[in-house]
Amino acid sequence: MSEIWIYVENHFNRVDPSSLQLITKAKEIANGRQVTAVILEDHDQDFENTVKQYGPNQILLVKNDNLKNASDETITNVLVDLAQEQKPDTILFGATVTGRSLAPRIQGRLKTGLTADCLDLRFDDDLLVATKPSYGDNIMCEITCPKNKPQMATVRPNTFEAVVDGSSEPKINEVEVTVDVDPRVTVSDEQGSVSNTRSIGTAKRIIALGRGAQSESIIKKANELAGKIGAIVAVSRPLTDLPEFSHEQQIGQSGNTVAPDLIINLGISGAVQYVVGIQNAKTVVSVNTDPKAPIFDVSQYKYVGDAEAFLDGLIENV
Amino acid sequence: MKIIVCLKQVPETNNVKIDPVTHNLQRNGISGVINSFDVNAIEAALELKDRYGAEVVALTMGPPDYEKTLRLAMAMGANEGVLLSSRGFAGADTLATATVLAAAVNKIGGADLILFGRQAVDADTGQVGPLVAEKLDLPQYTYVSKLNLSSDGQIDAVRMLDGGTVRVNGDLPAVATVRSELNEPRYATPRNIKLSFKKDIVVYDEKDLDLDDSEIGQAGSPTIVTKVYTPTATPKVTETLEGSAKEAAQNLLTKLSEKSIL
Repeated sequence: MSEIWIYVENHFNRVDPSSLQLITKAKEIANGRQVTAVILEDHDQDFENTVKQYGPNQILLVKNDNLKNASDETITNVLVDLAQEQKPDTILFGATVTGRSLAPRIQGRLKTGLTADCLDLRFDDDLLVATKPSYGDNIMCEITCPKNKPQMATVRPNTFEAVVDGSSEPKINEVEVTVDVDPRVTVSDEQGSVSNTRSIGTAKRIIALGRGAQSESIIKKANELAGKIGAIVAVSRPLTDLPEFSHEQQIGQSGNTVAPDLIINLGISGAVQYVVGIQNAKTVVSVNTDPKAPIFDVSQYKYVGDAEAFLDGLIENV
Repeated sequence: MKIIVCLKQVPETNNVKIDPVTHNLQRNGISGVINSFDVNAIEAALELKDRYGAEVVALTMGPPDYEKTLRLAMAMGANEGVLLSSRGFAGADTLATATVLAAAVNKIGGADLILFGRQAVDADTGQVGPLVAEKLDLPQYTYVSKLNLSSDGQIDAVRMLDGGTVRVNGDLPAVATVRSELNEPRYATPRNIKLSFKKDIVVYDEKDLDLDDSEIGQAGSPTIVTKVYTPTATPKVTETLEGSAKEAAQNLLTKLSEKSIL
């Protein structure tokens, strides 16, 4: 049976959310294909217990102590061996730093095509059609790989929602393989950082500031409100030039897609790439002095007026 | 020590439009500039040149006007520039591009370190660096925010993950792709700009690189673009918050609270 493989990525002893999101999406588009989560771990790890809650049809499990802190090269050796033996139709990765490093290495060895940082996936008959943004999310391309197998894609984190599915117990297929460790590279333990990238991606509430809300007092008040409601402050492109912010807090370019329950956009006009970046937000509130700002078209609540006065009103009454 | 820096020239703006009739991208009249992340890769190479006297070769694949990206690298301090240019290279995806770059690295005689920017800002794939590493059977150090080489042939790097960092080290030769956090690129000096125009740029095509037509350009590309379009957002039913800012804010809080959103 034709199989969709999802490479299950882990960091800090946890399954990366992007892998679980891909399991849910793959099941949605599978249309009879088997969804297989591929887990590489050492004997102290049990990522299968997390993964099985999301209901893949099968878990392909490799447990080997040589997989602790494995390099890209070593993981490539294992995944390529498995893929050459079992011949999956499709292999998907999260478009994380790890996924974007591993997938092309594997692509190169399997001599096939890989589409990067996709925002959507579907099958047209046997062909995986991957939707990929280009030019800073201003243009979308549909890309296929008609003559080579497996079909491969990396998918932008937080584009799809991971949904727990206990309707069937996945079959766990533990395989013994030789882990061919690349002796040229040594990987140390991962260190957590104060980086906000992940917290923007997984934040439930976001206050986003744009060109029309970049004064020091607005930034201060936005942080105050964020503290009160448990939100994170994010920005659109122009504010990344300010010393307080960097591309890590930027929504809408090169990977930072958000999916909060609530986002309050202050002084953001709504350039195409920004709108793509927030398309999975559940409730969108926008404040802008320009009644024609495109951001209003994708908002449930709008206020035409001064962002700072609106912020004051929120802080006073929340 | 020899270092090859692979560069890409990209449109000056990402604000490209689609021709409503032909559905092709309208790129006419948009001039090309060096991909911004690649400038950090040049700087990383030049710091190794300053420290160890490394020889730095700038390498790019593209039409003849990509020469200006190589000139910029030389104006910053690269020793030489190599342009991979041929009609046969057109339409290449990441795999076909990596095939040509890897062949060029071999033609140049290899290197201790091959550097890339983390990704190009137009297509945003970040795939070509790891693909070249794979094709040359070299270890890869991707998305690095710290990079040290020692004179005894070791590389020590820090990869920035989405929520942390990880140290990776090992033997040279290797491929590295660099993040902008790695360094602050230097400016070209007037002397180097002048010198850069006195240097010849070496140009190779598929025959020079001994590549078969089936490996390059469109023929060597497993992926095809089947559709190009401008994304449209799904419009939402929008409720206008009326009154003063304070009233509107109060009104919003009430509504969000009624729906248990806040």
